[in-house]
Amino acid sequence: MQVLEKNPAVETRAGHCRITVRGRDGSETSFEVKRNDMLLKAAVDQGIDYPHNCRVGVCGTCKTRLVDGRVSPMVDLALSPLSNEQIEAGFVLACQAKVRTDLVLDVKLGNGAQLPVRTVSALVTRWQRLPGDVIDLRLKLDDAVAFNAGQYCTIAESGSFTRRSYSYYDVPAADGSPAGEVGFLVKRLPGGRFSEWLFAEDRSGIKFWVEGPFGVMGVDDLDRDGLCVAGGTGLAPILSIVGDRLQRSETARFTIVFGVRSEKDLFADTHLAELQAKAGDRLRVIPILSHEPTGSSWAGLRGLVTAALTPALGIDYRDTAAFICGNLGMVEAVERRLIELGVQADRIHADKFVPSGTP
Amino acid sequence: MTKNLDYFKYLLSPIILSAHAYGMWMGGNFTWVGMALLLGVLFFDGFLKADYSIRDLAHAWIYDVIVSITVLASFVNILFYAWLIGHDHFATTASGVGAFLSTLFIGFVIGAPPVHELFHREGLFLRWLGRIGQCLVFDPWREITHVVTHHMRVATPDDPDYARRGDTVYGHFFRTFPAQWKESYHLEKMMWTKRGRKWYDPRNAWVFKATYFGIFLAALFALGGFKGLLLCSASLFFGPRMLLEVFNYCNHYGLISATPGRFQNHHTWNHITPLVRILALEITNHAGHHDDSYKPFYALEPDPNGPQQPQFLLCVLLAFVPPLFFMMVKPLLKDWDKNRATPQEREIARRENARAGWHELNDEPAPRAPSRSAMATA
Repeated sequence: MQVLEKNPAVETRAGHCRITVRGRDGSETSFEVKRNDMLLKAAVDQGIDYPHNCRVGVCGTCKTRLVDGRVSPMVDLALSPLSNEQIEAGFVLACQAKVRTDLVLDVKLGNGAQLPVRTVSALVTRWQRLPGDVIDLRLKLDDAVAFNAGQYCTIAESGSFTRRSYSYYDVPAADGSPAGEVGFLVKRLPGGRFSEWLFAEDRSGIKFWVEGPFGVMGVDDLDRDGLCVAGGTGLAPILSIVGDRLQRSETARFTIVFGVRSEKDLFADTHLAELQAKAGDRLRVIPILSHEPTGSSWAGLRGLVTAALTPALGIDYRDTAAFICGNLGMVEAVERRLIELGVQADRIHADKFVPSGTP
Repeated sequence: MTKNLDYFKYLLSPIILSAHAYGMWMGGNFTWVGMALLLGVLFFDGFLKADYSIRDLAHAWIYDVIVSITVLASFVNILFYAWLIGHDHFATTASGVGAFLSTLFIGFVIGAPPVHELFHREGLFLRWLGRIGQCLVFDPWREITHVVTHHMRVATPDDPDYARRGDTVYGHFFRTFPAQWKESYHLEKMMWTKRGRKWYDPRNAWVFKATYFGIFLAALFALGGFKGLLLCSASLFFGPRMLLEVFNYCNHYGLISATPGRFQNHHTWNHITPLVRILALEITNHAGHHDDSYKPFYALEPDPNGPQQPQFLLCVLLAFVPPLFFMMVKPLLKDWDKNRATPQEREIARRENARAGWHELNDEPAPRAPSRSAMATA
């Protein structure tokens, strides 16, 4: 349900605040939220496609420039992913902002309606060890849930406080129908509460709770060619986005730069082979290894994923959409490199992993 | 007319503070007046019905004035106590013990709530007063872990203020203090790193905290000498600082959130008796505070359907006798599991009950220990 109004002169109800979003083209759209509600939650609850990801002040996707009005941040913004310069320039995190007055915001809203967030129970139907300390985890949902390519959900074992966020690697149905089964790629983190538990033994048949979908990573023109850069299990949303676009566009072409440490860590051969079979020559995959021993038989690229991002890739960087997923440092490095190469900042769509210290 | 009384109810705290100061000034057995009056009020409160009334908001500034006065009067009280010690005012052991215990309990029930109230505020002056006021809870870093960590992770084991099912208050002390100090350091470091500063940069928040706390301790020493500093520090540490953790222990005890970061009203216990609401500045009216931590105490609306514990004083006292506390809280938790928890939270609760050995809450018998013969066979 979209409640955006093109005419912000509409009268605001008592106890509510009017949120006016200014586009860079001078356009204005507005919606209403209750005074003292959290900005992001109030917007998303109304079905507004507000950029966001983690919703708990960690990822920074919902960063918003406050042009006018007042919000109360729930935590010191110095404890958020915003840089000092951004804080001083008036940026806030919408997920941490209580709305106190009418607001004028500078933020790029998406065009699509948000899918409803649901919490459903599920059973593990696949627990498969892959190379590189990765598990392919598939869950059969007790109630089917719709999601968009590039989105994620949180999962928790039944009875456990511990919950973690993972991106779906599945391609959403072309007709938008909900999925009855979803899959994730889980990397083992030494000492990690959830991943160590998951790796300890075969968890097939175990009950989980799944809450989602969240995030808005994959939004851009469908027919635009895409450059995707994935670090490790950051490949999961890339598989979903590329698979989705291949089935919805007849012309878009994709390059996936896939970085892992060494050849024995290339965990996604099966998934990539399936995607390649559907895509034909519209997809090329470029693996790059950061810690492959010198003198091994590996004939492909070596180095960090940024080393693969050169003019030699043969991409029109000024006209491509970029999708990046991986750990925070890797994503930020790739963003900087892509901007150097001429990619437009608002065509870069990123999903940053931050190891969870929360339950 | 009745509504106008709302404002003056909160004068009860400064009145008790004044009585305590007068008692200390009189010396002798009068030093017990403060504690006797406070415990008398709390005991009387135990016989009163829950109070779900909403405060009048027409002249809200009066509340803020009273709360500010309470913080300032609490400073005066502790400095006065130090000065009296410095002048060997307490001639007998009984008078010295009376003054110490009265200062300790009053510091917890009357001194701590306005500090907590004000460091949550958005206004510059009130927030500044609340931050400085943290001297009265003997921990200038209490705010940061409370506002960031506790409010974000309430009712999960990653909140250092949270006590899991089966935890005793004594174990809670040993867990919560190191976890809070570690978290304070982590958060302070994050702030100076973000701003590109060295740890010793004078603009860092910790420098300001250390400075005003140092000045406060120096003032206690100047007024009361080493003995004054020691006794005042002990009364603040064992009073507001430690007893606040007893409050935290009780207030979310064993409750479970499956949605950390997104508070729901059933994630806290409430104590809604009338005099406790007044003395504790509605902090026992706890759901509204977690729902919007910036909301001033007088705007909090008691949740008539929220989880409730018995009267506040009773809970604090029971906490020190774990078997009695467990006897009180188990039926409440069983009801919470059955009627308030979400299905996901109910499953976590089930595991938590088993972890605590409280199998009866899961309506199942405790697992039997293997017999000697069985062990021999194995």
